[in-house]
Amino acid sequence: MNPDVLRFSPGAYLAPAVDWLNANFHPFFAALTKLIETVLGGIEASLLYPPAYAVIIAAVVLAGFLIGFRAATVTAIALAFCFLSGLWTASMQTLALVTVAVMISVLVAFPLGILASRYEKFAAASRPVLDIMQTVPPWVYLIPAVMLFSLGRVPAIIATIVYGIPPMLRLTTLAFNQVPKDLLELGQASGASPRSILLKIEIPSATPTLLVGLNQCILLSLAMVVLAGLVGAGGLGAEVTRGLTRMEMGLGLRAGLAIVAIAILLDRLSKGALQGRRIGRSATAA
Amino acid sequence: MDTSVITDLFDTSTDNALGWIGDNGEWLFEFIRFVLQGTYDGILWFLELAPFYVIAIIAGLLAWRLLNPVAGLLAGIALAFCAFMGLWAETMSTLALVATATILALAVGIPIGIVAGFVKTFDRALEPALDLIQTLPPYIYLLPAIALLGYGPATALVATFIVAMPPSIRLTSLGIRMTPREFIELGQASGLSPWQMFTKIRLPFAMPSIMAGINQSLMMAFGMVVIAGIVGSGGLGETIYGAVRTLDIATSINAAIAIVILTMVLDRLTQSAAHRAKAGVR
Repeated sequence: MNPDVLRFSPGAYLAPAVDWLNANFHPFFAALTKLIETVLGGIEASLLYPPAYAVIIAAVVLAGFLIGFRAATVTAIALAFCFLSGLWTASMQTLALVTVAVMISVLVAFPLGILASRYEKFAAASRPVLDIMQTVPPWVYLIPAVMLFSLGRVPAIIATIVYGIPPMLRLTTLAFNQVPKDLLELGQASGASPRSILLKIEIPSATPTLLVGLNQCILLSLAMVVLAGLVGAGGLGAEVTRGLTRMEMGLGLRAGLAIVAIAILLDRLSKGALQGRRIGRSATAA
Repeated sequence: MDTSVITDLFDTSTDNALGWIGDNGEWLFEFIRFVLQGTYDGILWFLELAPFYVIAIIAGLLAWRLLNPVAGLLAGIALAFCAFMGLWAETMSTLALVATATILALAVGIPIGIVAGFVKTFDRALEPALDLIQTLPPYIYLLPAIALLGYGPATALVATFIVAMPPSIRLTSLGIRMTPREFIELGQASGLSPWQMFTKIRLPFAMPSIMAGINQSLMMAFGMVVIAGIVGSGGLGETIYGAVRTLDIATSINAAIAIVILTMVLDRLTQSAAHRAKAGVR
């Protein structure tokens, strides 16, 4: 049996559809591209406009005040490394990409996660979709994004947003399902409005799990942003890609270590926020 | 402040160090490349023995036995679809890459996991290393691999191996530690030797967790193997990489569909095998 007899290429049918979309919805995609570029450019500019040491000092002071001494030390070492390796601009580009992507992912996933925890039917319907989304290798997310937005930062950020949504959504649902029943009943019994139950009871008691979700979302987004260096997203991913394809190992290694620094920084900061909360809470409880 | 002095120094010393390693350790890397390439070629040769419909039917029958008839039918048709898209050879080399990397990761990871399950201090020492491996973006594991092994499937295999190992270590050690106390006491009371205790009591109880680890390792390996297309791994990853760079939309869609099919079929098969193992314990 020869498979060529039944030769079928779904891509050959989908490609004209993509072309059609590109031809007829060009203003829409162009506007979206413009919007994302503006937001990204703004964040990038505000990170890059002040001299590097000012940004480092500001970040260290903030981390020290908000989280603790250890977080401040990690921040100082990681950012100083990014600066000394000569990759400050690329590191800030990567940070800007991750920040924007995580913000949008959370904005989408958080309400959907609450919906899924309220309505069993919605949760059941979304579960297979999330399963598929989490099984598919990350590379695959970049393909449709590149087809619609061509190469550059915009497809990268869109693929990153989509990739970051499932873990955040899952853990939001979990967090809200874990809110103790008696607390909710207490709120209802004291005649609190649904709004204040959400804000004063549910969100505070769901926060630890929500922060775990945020940590996952941040790390997966970073992985995707770095990978997106392959499609011209710029930042540290682009430097790694250059190192890999041109065999400039020094550059590749520096960029790789800078990514390690950024990953550890983001991981510690988001986990530090979680532990800071725990300590704060047990202190008030005592 | 100018940092180019530091970076230039770093780059030249990196090149010198790699040159030195290349001169003095070439036999070692040659050997590693030989072993990896050999395993990969062997598995690929075996997979290419059978025509595509035989493999599709085998996968279908497996899914039938493990899940249900509908899943079996779907799995068979989906795999055959890869052949109809003209990507069968690429699909099989991707499968061979994933299989080689996962088998190596399991061969190293499960014994380490077993030791970690018994020795608490070892487990605690491993924890930060595993955390670090799982925190870093998988893409960067290609860097040391390509620096030492050069362009080709061996590099892809090493990077994939690193990424696929942590879940199998973690879940094996978890499984070993979770053996119910009463069964261990039962074993001691009936005078089992340590070896019998291990094979008859601890291992069967750890099996569901180990199977879950195999499933996770496999999924990590899939994610990585596709990325490794950039270092010339061959298979669907390279097809996609080439198609995206030339903006060949049709080919990249086909290759993406083939990857999704292969991933989903293997994920569901190993997941249901894990569920089986769990049901078996109960």
